[in-house]
Amino acid sequence: MRAEELKGHLDAVLLAALEGGPRHGYAVIETLRQNTGGRLDLPTGTIYPALRRLEQAGLITGSWSVVGGRRRREYRLTGAGRRALAGRRADWRDFSAAVTAALEGRPWPSPA
Amino acid sequence: MAEPRLIRDYQSSLSAQLPASIVDELADGLSETYRSYRRQGLAPDIAAQAAVEEFGEPQVIVDEFARVHPARRTARKLLVTGPAVGACWAATLITSQAWALPVPLSVRILLGLAVIATIGLLAASAVGTTYRLTARAGIAGCAAIAVLDTAMITSMMFAIPSITWITIAAVAASAMRMTFSARTLTRLVAHAQG
Repeated sequence: MRAEELKGHLDAVLLAALEGGPRHGYAVIETLRQNTGGRLDLPTGTIYPALRRLEQAGLITGSWSVVGGRRRREYRLTGAGRRALAGRRADWRDFSAAVTAALEGRPWPSPA
Repeated sequence: MAEPRLIRDYQSSLSAQLPASIVDELADGLSETYRSYRRQGLAPDIAAQAAVEEFGEPQVIVDEFARVHPARRTARKLLVTGPAVGACWAATLITSQAWALPVPLSVRILLGLAVIATIGLLAASAVGTTYRLTARAGIAGCAAIAVLDTAMITSMMFAIPSITWITIAAVAASAMRMTFSARTLTRLVAHAQG
């Protein structure tokens, strides 16, 4: 999956990657890879501006530490971030169910 | 673990365009990416090449940081709300027949130039493609708005003969914008200092 296809969903994907606990940028990328079996092909460098944007929006907070002599910025979800993630998940479930129904010619919502 | 020249060159190209705090974060990520490839058994130069390719073009990263800079959002807000505040002041100046006030021509010209320069700074921040231009123009534009609003409120309160509801609306609009600009300016300066 290419970066363009993820457009509009990157924020939710990053928030989800931080749901398991605080992570630095590279760990966020590794989590995305592990969770998607390596299917997300994102230019790694563009993850960092997106994390800063989420921080400015108050959805995550960043803090510095020093690891192996290098400064490292670690991010964690805020309460607003958790609520935003829950909302985006619900929206995605509706959206993906509707698109699946449309593509496969099934009525929606699908009968049980 | 010493990192190859390619990694250092990549970091240098980022350092030339981004503040130290962002470069530190990117350098940590790039270093982790490089080490990950090394752990997979790649030779140093090949691991460095793979890490740099995975990160993407430095200019793409810089452009993205410029795009998400808080100064850009602030500049756009001020540009969008500017005409409304300007209209309030225009109505005040017209109803109070400001052209008859004893204001020297040089002051009028200076005020006009200051308004044009401020709009230019905000526009540069709103559409700037380099991080430093976006940040600096945004900070300067924000400061200029605060100064202009203060000057307008102060001078008009003394200069115009009578206060009408239009004047009150203009002062209120300017005061709100001035407060927003001053508070945002503090945040932008703190952001610039990392």
